[in-house]
This record gives sequence, structure tokens and C-alpha cells, in this order.
Amino acid sequence: MGIERRIIKATWGYNGDLEPLYELEDTGDEIIVTFDLPRVKRENVEINTTEDTVEITAKMSEAVCWERWGSVQRRISFTQFRKQIRLPEPIEPEKASASFRNGVLRIILPKKRRKVFIPVQ
Amino acid sequence: MMDTVRIVEESVVTRKNPIVIEGLPDVGLVGTIAASYIVDKLKYEEIGYIESDLFPPVMVIHGGKLKSPFCLYGNEEVVVVSSEIAIPPNAVYPLTRALADWFSSINASLVISVTGLPVKNRMDIDKPEVFAVGNNEEAIRKLKEKQVELMEEGFIAGTYAVMLRECYKKDLCAISLLAQCFPVYPDPGAAASAIGSLDKFLQLGIDVRELLERGEEIKLKARDLMRQTALSASEMQKSAEQDMPIMYR
Repeated sequence: MGIERRIIKATWGYNGDLEPLYELEDTGDEIIVTFDLPRVKRENVEINTTEDTVEITAKMSEAVCWERWGSVQRRISFTQFRKQIRLPEPIEPEKASASFRNGVLRIILPKKRRKVFIPVQ
Repeated sequence: MMDTVRIVEESVVTRKNPIVIEGLPDVGLVGTIAASYIVDKLKYEEIGYIESDLFPPVMVIHGGKLKSPFCLYGNEEVVVVSSEIAIPPNAVYPLTRALADWFSSINASLVISVTGLPVKNRMDIDKPEVFAVGNNEEAIRKLKEKQVELMEEGFIAGTYAVMLRECYKKDLCAISLLAQCFPVYPDPGAAASAIGSLDKFLQLGIDVRELLERGEEIKLKARDLMRQTALSASEMQKSAEQDMPIMYR
């Protein structure tokens, strides 16, 4: 990470995007990613996956406005969450599933790698 | 030699064996959210701050005024310890020692750490349960009397775990209230449950409706502190709380 990136490591953008908090868990057969998405309704969540990435865009039902704050010092509004995550292993995008409850999105991404049964001699 | 951690009192308050509420940042920011809600709701004044060379060189500005991010609030009967930035892992021992010394000097009747107990299925839990740990027989008796469910086995890790021990060494009665929570997401729902248990001791009739109603706004405001805290927590062996201790004793 460059020096500039280390000093200005914001979790928001001037374009109105906020980076959501997220957690990635490897369960062996699946990768489970959860996102914390306050002020978001299920119908306003868009998920796109490839074999090695998952990207979410989630529009908030009400924008977040901050005034004269931090390095901005003017009114700034955030209207959506956006995040792309590079996955640690290839997954099968067609078999992915997602659920949304109490502002938390859970995406289950089955891994592409197949299990091989090894008999014990 | 100067103390590593200094408790600075800014106002002269005659204390009457106060109850201390410790709400330092930890999993789900349960204690921080609960402490901040209580301070706001009960209109507690700022009574001091904590400073240390072990803390990052960060100050906070509110309403144009410079403040320490490690603050003390309260009145004659209650003291609230809170922070707006994560506790650096190397500051945990000196901080808890200094706080226990200070709690002893003000004759605290009870020290209550409010924190979270991370659970994997938090998303599926509507009303988080609260468990408790006491640091001596008297603390356990108080918890049983208030019908708070005790944690019988397990590891606890982080600032509150060391706080229990440091208070024990000072002969202070201390308990930790642990509400089931999201590990790395701010959890106002867990904070509301914790306040429900905490109020059994304070008996101030704290209404948590506003906390639940403003939950989404609180989550948005607490994102960056949660991120810092999660990084700090990973160095505090927090994962040990999911481990099973050896059962045979």
C-alpha cells in the first residue's frame, strides 16, 4: 500500500458511495460473505458475482448527510453502499444464493473445487 | 517517573460509592453504544479523561471543541468510562490497572463492564441474550440475585477480561455483561439487551426504544470505530472466546 493510500484511507467516496463493513468466512465447501447494510431494503440490493469476485451495490432508503466534518468541511451525502471483494478461491456463480435480514446481507458462494473421496487403506 | 496511564479528573464531585460502567470498544461496540446512549439519555456531564503515551496521538473535535477520545462521564452515583477510538492492545494492561486503582480510590461499589459475546448466527437472533461473569463471590451473588444468567465455562478475552482481574486484585466487586452480538458490525440491538440487564443494577428505568429506533443511524456512525476495533481485537486473542476450555479439572 502506498504512503498516500495509507494516510488517506477513507471508507467513503465523493461520489456518494460508502464502503460497507463485511466479513468473509471460508467454511471448506463454501465462501460466506456477509455485509452490514443499514438503511437498505432487500429490493434495493444488487449482487453480481464472477468466479473470483463478488460485487454489491445497495441503495439506502434515506441518504446519510454529514455537515462540516473531517477533511471535507462541507455538506456531503451518501446514497449507497458499494463494494467489490476478490474471493480467495474460484466459486460457481450460478449456484450462489443470498438472503437479507435485519440489515445484514448473507451471500453463500459454493466453491468450484470438487471434493475427492480418498479411501482409507 | 510518570504513570503510563493517567486518569485526569476535571471537576470536583463528591462521590457516594458510585457504580462504574465501563463501555470501551470491543466486539459489536456493545459497550460503547450502550455507554454513549446512557450518557446522552441521563445527561451525564463529562468529569474527566484518560491520557497515556500508549494511546495513538489522536484527539477528537466536537462542536469545534477539542476533546480527548477517552472520556469519563457521570455524577455522584454513576461513572461511565468510554472511548471514541479503539484501545491499542499494548495499552490494555496499563489502562485496566490505572482504572482499577482509580475505581478503588473513589470507593466504587460495583464495576460493570458492558460488552458483547460474538455469535455466528446473530443475524437470526431477534432479541440477543445477555450472560454475565463475576470476579468474586459477592459479584456472583449479585448476579444471581438480579437473575442474570451466568457464563459457566469458556474463555473471555479483551479489555473487560483483564478489568475483572485487576478489580479482583484491588478487592473491587466487578461483573461483565455480555450480550450476544455481531462480531464486526456495530450492534445497537445487543446494546439494548445489555442496558436491560445493566438497569437491574442501576435501577434508573432506562428506556431503550430510542436506541432501537435509531439503530440504523448508530450503525452508520459507528462504522469506522468498528473497523478500528476489529483490527485491534484480532491482536487480543478474541478468537479464544470461541474455544472450548479443557473441561476436566
